[in-house]
Amino acid sequence: MTGIRRAAGIGIALGAWIVRLVLVVLVIATFNFALVRAAPGDPAQVMAGQSGGADAKLLADLRAEYGLDQPYAVQLVRHLGRVVRLDLGTSTQQRRPVLDLIRERLPATLLLTVTAFTLALLLGSTLGVMAGLAAGSAADTAFTVLSLVLYAMPVFWLGLMLVLVFSVWLDWLPPFGYGTINARLGPLGQALDLLKYLAMPAASLGAIYLAIYARLMRAAIIEVAQQDFVKTARAKGLTGAQIVVGHMLRNALVPVVTVAGMQAGALVGGAVVVETVFAWPGLGRLTFDALLQRDYPVMLGVFLILSVIVILFNLATDLAYRLIDPRMRAGSA
Amino acid sequence: MTDAKAPVSTAPVLAVDGLTIALPRGGDRAHAVEDVSFAIQRDEVVCLVGESGSGKSMIAHAILSLLPSGVRVAGGAVAVNGRDVARLSGSDLRAFRGGEAGMIFQEPLSSLNPLKRVGAQIAETIRTHQGALPRDAMRARVEGLLAQVGLPTPGLLARSYPFELSGGQRQRVMIAMAMANRPALLVADEPTTALDVTTQAQILRLIDDLRRERGMGVLLITHDFGVVADVADRVVVLRGGRVVETGSAEAVLRRPRDPYTRALIDAVPRARLRPPAPRPEGAPVLSVEDLRKTFTVRRGLFQPPRRVVAADGLSLSLHQGETLAVVGESGSGKSTLGRMIMRLTEPDGGAIRLGGEDLRSLDGEALRQARRGLQIVFQDPFASLDPRQKVGDAVARGPMAYGTPRREAMATARALLERVGLTAAAAERYPHEFSGGQRQRICIARALVLRPQVLIADEAVSALDVSVQAQVLALLAELRREMRLAMIFITHDLRIAAEIADRVIVLQKGRIVEEGATRDVFSAPREAYTRALLDAIPGRRFFEHPGFTREPVAPEVA
Repeated sequence: MTGIRRAAGIGIALGAWIVRLVLVVLVIATFNFALVRAAPGDPAQVMAGQSGGADAKLLADLRAEYGLDQPYAVQLVRHLGRVVRLDLGTSTQQRRPVLDLIRERLPATLLLTVTAFTLALLLGSTLGVMAGLAAGSAADTAFTVLSLVLYAMPVFWLGLMLVLVFSVWLDWLPPFGYGTINARLGPLGQALDLLKYLAMPAASLGAIYLAIYARLMRAAIIEVAQQDFVKTARAKGLTGAQIVVGHMLRNALVPVVTVAGMQAGALVGGAVVVETVFAWPGLGRLTFDALLQRDYPVMLGVFLILSVIVILFNLATDLAYRLIDPRMRAGSA
Repeated sequence: MTDAKAPVSTAPVLAVDGLTIALPRGGDRAHAVEDVSFAIQRDEVVCLVGESGSGKSMIAHAILSLLPSGVRVAGGAVAVNGRDVARLSGSDLRAFRGGEAGMIFQEPLSSLNPLKRVGAQIAETIRTHQGALPRDAMRARVEGLLAQVGLPTPGLLARSYPFELSGGQRQRVMIAMAMANRPALLVADEPTTALDVTTQAQILRLIDDLRRERGMGVLLITHDFGVVADVADRVVVLRGGRVVETGSAEAVLRRPRDPYTRALIDAVPRARLRPPAPRPEGAPVLSVEDLRKTFTVRRGLFQPPRRVVAADGLSLSLHQGETLAVVGESGSGKSTLGRMIMRLTEPDGGAIRLGGEDLRSLDGEALRQARRGLQIVFQDPFASLDPRQKVGDAVARGPMAYGTPRREAMATARALLERVGLTAAAAERYPHEFSGGQRQRICIARALVLRPQVLIADEAVSALDVSVQAQVLALLAELRREMRLAMIFITHDLRIAAEIADRVIVLQKGRIVEEGATRDVFSAPREAYTRALLDAIPGRRFFEHPGFTREPVAPEVA
């Protein structure tokens, strides 16, 4: 009885969530459409320019071909109609389905951002815990200075400096690319090879987030250390390590997870710059090129995919919250 | 194995000898406590009594070697079962904490890890001191402990998180945790201060029962002589870090030698019932009719929401110059009532009339103008003042919002600050420069500067020391006479209600179960719920019956 009711409850909640997701995606698609159209120029102008001469007839033909001669409202409705059918159109420049282009590039971007994010979160939290426990010491001061430097460093500059040190001077890592071309390697060798190419882009992308998470974690640990339940744990006779691992860590994670979840979107945005510096064949490069060429379908497609990724990240944050904090599972708390 | 810890010698369970605790340099005094000595025998409850700042909590923390960093023992010794605590370190110290001595704190919610099931938190204590047990054995131990502290359905409770429990249940969990390894000494630091009166009585009885059952020594820290009268065998009275008086509870309560002890005992609100003032004629200032409110609490993603009835047809009326006390346990809807009258919480139905005007039909500017006549003082004087706003501004902003020029508003503010017992110079200072009692005076000035017709005091003195409480209550009584104020006094402390109110309403689960003149309700309660509330007043038997001798065992309250 309660089992059935419970299952029905889950079904309803899931259905409501999917409806909300679709609505959010449509609103975002509308915004993206308006934004892209607000910039001066259109794909027809770029294409006409590339073909050498831009007479009015050619422009009009091109616009008719891509439906750009229609009123904005009609274009928007068509665009949303395609979004619902998961049809992202054809690139005006590359003459290939946008979905294919994205499908080719997405894995590289996901690999880069997920690696950077994971590293930043794990290393940052660990450093933050250590600094927080040693608050006020010389090591803590050194940590604060270091995190400030990382935080203040522009991503592209850090990337270039890494290349200078590890590729040019030390010759340890390849300066750019996504795997050695034509190398005959086994699966493990391939993975290691990819890892070499991944190291610097991931490090430059993750550095700033590492600094942010580390500082957050440090502050959270200092705050949690003053809570009554830590005193209770001491009064129970637990060791320092037991108190940190068993009681403080999870409590301190709550603010870090909040910020990490919010910044996931910014991380994907930051990937554009890093991918450009390291010639990483991800969505970033695709977006950059599409922007210059006013490749509307590609731009809209990429923006849409990015927004879906951000929404999924938010969902993941929500679930992580519930995992960490039982009060969140209870709803309004 | 655990029983081996029971003392065999005749040494006291706890001996504090000449204890001096030094504060970090630059504080307002050099020592938190100086030259404090007392002892606790097996099967004995010693109450350490004092007001905030007396150093009583520091002593408790020193016993378990839990002093905050920067604070250290500068002289004297603490010995538990004959062993000097200061000489313990590393694993010996950890074995002592939670093994030989257990401790419970004032705020049971913040003292439990919010992210861990309570059963796991208790199991951790057992595992730390007795090593790992098989899963089932551990579960049985934990559930046994929960049952011993009087928690129903221990199996279900062990799997709960602290936020799912009530205040009393949480404190029982804390006690179960402290008792897990059969300590010889239990240190309880204001264990019932955050609880309402009936829960307080239950927790005190539980501690007393466990003490007798196990022959523990108990150090109970409190600021309330009512609590002392109920449970203490002996009393140590602290003032400013020094012991001013010590002796058997009976002797100290009946024949206090030190004037400070006498003042503290006198400050205990004692339900001196005044003859009720004749109810004023004419129309009431405030009338509330059939107020209803149900809160819907969202639960898990996939669970139906829970509905909590906070007001179920509440009606009351209040005349000029009259004080109405609203009493009940936590969760009875007292605070919601106050907030609904202020329209800080929107009622689901009913009417609120202030001076004939229907508040619920007002909105925007009309509501803002009407609100002037209704002001509120909250419980926590620390949270209810903006820490970055000067006190003078905090008070003057009210009249300024209603068009009084700044200069004039500041003059009024200064005059009112003097009236509530501060100096005019206080206007230029920030809230953190004042004590709790002073801050509550500021909050009163802030509420009264608008010359309201009705003042709502929501647990306005509950966070204050007993002696400060008495002063603030006296101030409120004076102001009420002077300004012909009508007052709604929301409190869980029936002693205070009796002290200040002409009439009282008793709330339970959003319903009025009893109402009438304070004297009638308190001297001849008609409802069992009211009787239970009155019976739970700490020290009631002692303070109301001068010839009363404390029974060795607190009788069970129905």
